Amino acid sequence: MTYSYIKPRVKRVVSAELQLVFIFFTISIVMLFLTYGFLKLKIYTFEQTIVRIEEKKVDLNDAIVKMQGQIYIIEQESDKAEKVTTENSVLKESIKNLFDLVPDRITLSQVDLKKDALVIYGMTPSKDVYEFLLQAPLRSIFNTTYTSFYQLENGWLSFVSTNKIDNKEVLK
Amino acid sequence: MKTLKISRQNIYLLIITLFLLLFVLIFAFVVLIPAGKEYRQARSITNKHAIELTQYQQLNDQTLQELKSLQEQHRTIITAFDNSFDENRFISQNKKFFQNLQVSKLVQLDQKQPFDLYEVNATSKIDSPVVFYNFLDSLNKGDWIIGVNFPIHFQRDGELINSSFTMRVYALSEDRNISKPAKDTNTTVQQ
Repeated sequence: MTYSYIKPRVKRVVSAELQLVFIFFTISIVMLFLTYGFLKLKIYTFEQTIVRIEEKKVDLNDAIVKMQGQIYIIEQESDKAEKVTTENSVLKESIKNLFDLVPDRITLSQVDLKKDALVIYGMTPSKDVYEFLLQAPLRSIFNTTYTSFYQLENGWLSFVSTNKIDNKEVLK
Repeated sequence: MKTLKISRQNIYLLIITLFLLLFVLIFAFVVLIPAGKEYRQARSITNKHAIELTQYQQLNDQTLQELKSLQEQHRTIITAFDNSFDENRFISQNKKFFQNLQVSKLVQLDQKQPFDLYEVNATSKIDSPVVFYNFLDSLNKGDWIIGVNFPIHFQRDGELINSSFTMRVYALSEDRNISKPAKDTNTTVQQ
């Protein structure tokens, strides 16, 4: 015989509603921890990225310094080559001008071309020919010009002309 | 007075809710918010480093471009400095200018000079001094960087001119001894 119209049910300490609340709370807590874990993971990733970037920066810096060194060397080489080329050209012009200066009536036997001096050995038919045709242009170029003459058996004069210059631009 | 009846279940619910609320607040303020700040800082620093890396990369690309351009522009000069001087090749290239051409290496007292010294003795015909000018021109277009050095001695010998002079052959290995200015060794990227 029953005294109730409903069936008896098991009475629990944790009811269905409480279980639902527990599940909700658990999910919330898990989400909080997941958020924290995500942040920590991202922070770790950022740190690793920074380390890699620093390594790349060091590598790039080394490469840049190395390339700048090569650029410096090439520029030095270029400057040096240009300077040498110019000096050779100037020297060529100096020698050409020197030989152009010498008139046909004067014969040279030896020429010593120094950085700041020119010594010419040669023969001239007369002192006047030398003075008018060679010494005059030499005087216009060199600061100091000194000439010694020696009489030759054939009537010509042998001369040694020593010419010095203070300004080095004329010869080089 | 009417008493408020709260069931045991509701009391549990209330306690747990309060506990959770407290936990969430404490966790948020003590752990989560500092972690968030740390995250933002790390992201900001990473972005800053990434921008710097981009600038380094750009500088690297610019420098590489400049280097390639210079290498292309001065290829002949670089090759000339790279070539080691060969006396026999030099003579074979330039003997067409002279009747006789001899080259001999001189021992330098100052070993630190960025060039090797050679003595050149050449004989040319007296009626063709232009060959000497052609020789000087050919030096500028040759396989090496060569500078003719003073003094230059010309001596007439019958119908020939004997000329002797020294020449400087510049070498790459010696040129690399030139130290680079200190300002160039440290690369800085503008922020």
